[in-house]
Amino acid sequence: MFSLKTITFDQIKTSSIALEMDEVIPDEIYSWTEADFAKYEVPIGNSRFPITDFFDITVEGEAEGPNEVKMIFNGDLNRVKYIGCKMSAGEIICNSSVDLHVGAEMSGGSILVNGDAAAHAGREMSGGYLEITGNTKEFTGASYIGEWRGMTGGEIVVGGNAGKQCGECLTGGKIHVKGNCDILAGIHMTKGIIEIDGDVNRWPGGQMKNGTIVIHGFLGRLLEGFVLEGVVEDPEDSGVVFPGKYIKYTGDIGLNGKGSLYLDAEANKEKLSTYGELDDDYTSIREYRNL
Amino acid sequence: MMEYILKNGIVYDPANGINGEKKDVMFKDDIIVDEVSADAKVIDVTDKIVMPAGVDPHAHVAGPKLVVGRLYRPEDSRMGVSQKTKVLRSESGFSIPSCPTTGYRYSRMGYGTVVEAAMPPLEAKHTHEEIATIPNIDIPALPLFGNNWFVMEYAKDKNIEDLAAFISSWLKISKGYGVKIVNPCGSEAWGWGMNVHGYDDKAPYFDVTSREVVMALAEANEMLGLPHSIHIHPNDLGHPGNVPTTLETLDSVKNIKKSSKATIRDQVMHVTHLQFHSYTGNSWKDAGSGAVEVADYINKHDHITCDVGQVTFDETTTMTADAPMEYDLFKLSGLKWTNKDIECETAAGIIPCIYSKKSPVSTLQWGIGLELFLLINDPWKVCLTTDHPNAGPFMRYPRIISWLMSNEKRQDMCENEVHKWIYKRTTLPTIEREYDFYEIATITRAAPAKIYGFEDRGALTPGYKADIAVYDINPNDIDPSKQALDIEKGFTVADYTIKDGQILVKDKEIVKVKESQNIWVNVKGWERQEQKVIDNIMPFFTQYYSVKWENYPVQDHYVSNPIRVDVEK
Repeated sequence: MFSLKTITFDQIKTSSIALEMDEVIPDEIYSWTEADFAKYEVPIGNSRFPITDFFDITVEGEAEGPNEVKMIFNGDLNRVKYIGCKMSAGEIICNSSVDLHVGAEMSGGSILVNGDAAAHAGREMSGGYLEITGNTKEFTGASYIGEWRGMTGGEIVVGGNAGKQCGECLTGGKIHVKGNCDILAGIHMTKGIIEIDGDVNRWPGGQMKNGTIVIHGFLGRLLEGFVLEGVVEDPEDSGVVFPGKYIKYTGDIGLNGKGSLYLDAEANKEKLSTYGELDDDYTSIREYRNL
Repeated sequence: MMEYILKNGIVYDPANGINGEKKDVMFKDDIIVDEVSADAKVIDVTDKIVMPAGVDPHAHVAGPKLVVGRLYRPEDSRMGVSQKTKVLRSESGFSIPSCPTTGYRYSRMGYGTVVEAAMPPLEAKHTHEEIATIPNIDIPALPLFGNNWFVMEYAKDKNIEDLAAFISSWLKISKGYGVKIVNPCGSEAWGWGMNVHGYDDKAPYFDVTSREVVMALAEANEMLGLPHSIHIHPNDLGHPGNVPTTLETLDSVKNIKKSSKATIRDQVMHVTHLQFHSYTGNSWKDAGSGAVEVADYINKHDHITCDVGQVTFDETTTMTADAPMEYDLFKLSGLKWTNKDIECETAAGIIPCIYSKKSPVSTLQWGIGLELFLLINDPWKVCLTTDHPNAGPFMRYPRIISWLMSNEKRQDMCENEVHKWIYKRTTLPTIEREYDFYEIATITRAAPAKIYGFEDRGALTPGYKADIAVYDINPNDIDPSKQALDIEKGFTVADYTIKDGQILVKDKEIVKVKESQNIWVNVKGWERQEQKVIDNIMPFFTQYYSVKWENYPVQDHYVSNPIRVDVEK
């Protein structure tokens, strides 16, 4: 990304109660100087405190808009939440694990987290790019609690494992989990793509109405609402092609859902064969569900 | 003793026939007076609109369904969030704001009284607890009677005297103001997974029709001489083709004589959120507006008043005692839905609803609401409501006012914003009428106060409560027809809101918070009949209610600082 202004936040003190950083996003601070930051008080619990109590802030360069801003956070961000929340442009790099709601409701720009993210990473995101090199906890790219509309656009990449209900109520965009995924990935999803390179614990796609879930690893248990369609090659959704052979299911039929769930046939074949469930022609894949 | 003069305002006070006169309004302590001493404080409101504080005749602001709605729609509570200040608690919520937020927002709009339109007697304690936490506005609540098992038995037996005693007793027990009827017999039918689909359908088991229940309640209401008439949400709400049911309901009480004790009001039936009851057609495919027919009936009859329930094109939360209708809505939208049966009294349902300008049905509903406002000739017969939060949040009243005052704005919306059904299924684009400030004052304060029989508010009459709103709008310097946005902005935040003589809003900021007051009706002279009724129903109550009789009534400590309206026999 092209940046003219770099703002570096070097942590000097942590807080036991989380700092809320949703006001410190490129959209709001692109014109700020170090003097402006010195005057700013960050919300912590029910009070506000000078942000300079917690970060040594260095501003270099000028920006005419949020897209010309690069924010770099150094230190322990485990009690810093809402980083990049509602941002529409610019770049944020976090050289630490982060607390709740990183990239929530973001509509543009990019965030890179060199570490883990707590729950609700990329919640209701509508655009932009969020990459977490480590693991994420529950509700990655999901909806706000109670909402029925989750992530609607953009892309989330999780380098490690994702927690429960990843992509809950997904209504657009793509989530790529390079590790494993806990239960109920893509529950209630209506559109979009979830690609999981690793294994999936149980019940992906519960009550999904549409969209695509691709699992390259081993699946623990599939819900009864998915109908086996057979083996397909190189399936595609919204221009994204997944090369190889996949076992395709459609569901969740409990809601007349037309979602597609693809299991990587080769990856599952080896594991299934150890149970004696799958032969070379995939003729016994109907047994798969009962593992 | 505090005395004030609101000086040089332009006053709209329809109850006293004052239409835009430049005059001073004076009050001493909590009462409007016609003269004050030389020591009175002067508040300069030169060329600003002065009206009585607003009276909302129908909204859902307190009670168990509000709590369920907030719990079940946390996504709504995160909207409209603001931090606490030295005066205010933090605010949250859009369609179902928190209790303090509800009071603040009404106060900002210049309102002083809001009627909670549906209170199950069994849940009345909870309702009053919520009322106590809503500041700055007085809140009478209407107990639900239309599906009460005892009421249906009395109606079947045509035992009007005992029914009147029952109502009198239950108003005391629930600290209620009047008789609310919701989908008579239909909500009871929901207990069997059913509904009633016409005025003469019978409730399962009870062998009584909606017509019999409504007429019995209307007769009992007039026998008691309650300040408000029966307040009805008719059968078939929201169903295409419900106009015949609506007109039958309105027509059924035309021969019931209004009590001579009810000297303020004219009507014997107030029909609420009439927009939802004015649909033609057989399904949503061929649905259309029945507003012309319904408005025509109201124009020709004086025994009916109404409020509209105007759709505002928002994402909102529907909540009603019409539980089967909520199930129908769930089948249409598929959004999350919950419902509840309230023992021997009523039922309730909640479901989010998205009214979109792109949607033909939402557009039709929006058009019908405005048609009703514009086709009912007498503004004393129609009140401004959104059936908050069912058709939209009450915060949108200023926007609705701007639509009513500007044909240009409406035409622009018809042409550029809403679905083309507005031309095919309604007459709205052909209506040129525009409300003036006097008519706006009528439908937002004078008419609702009259309809409820309030003798202390809704007007700037000396002796009335000093409930006053001042808006930063100069009627001589604005063309509402062409400045719709300015009208909306002007009515959104009052310059001053004065409640019981206390300045709550000053220079568009809330500067003070006061305790709310419940208003309830105490009928005198029926004590012997009430005891007889209670003795008769006690075995049934003991057997079927989940609470003991001793725990059923709203004790006085649940209603702090109430306003009791006594009705003599």
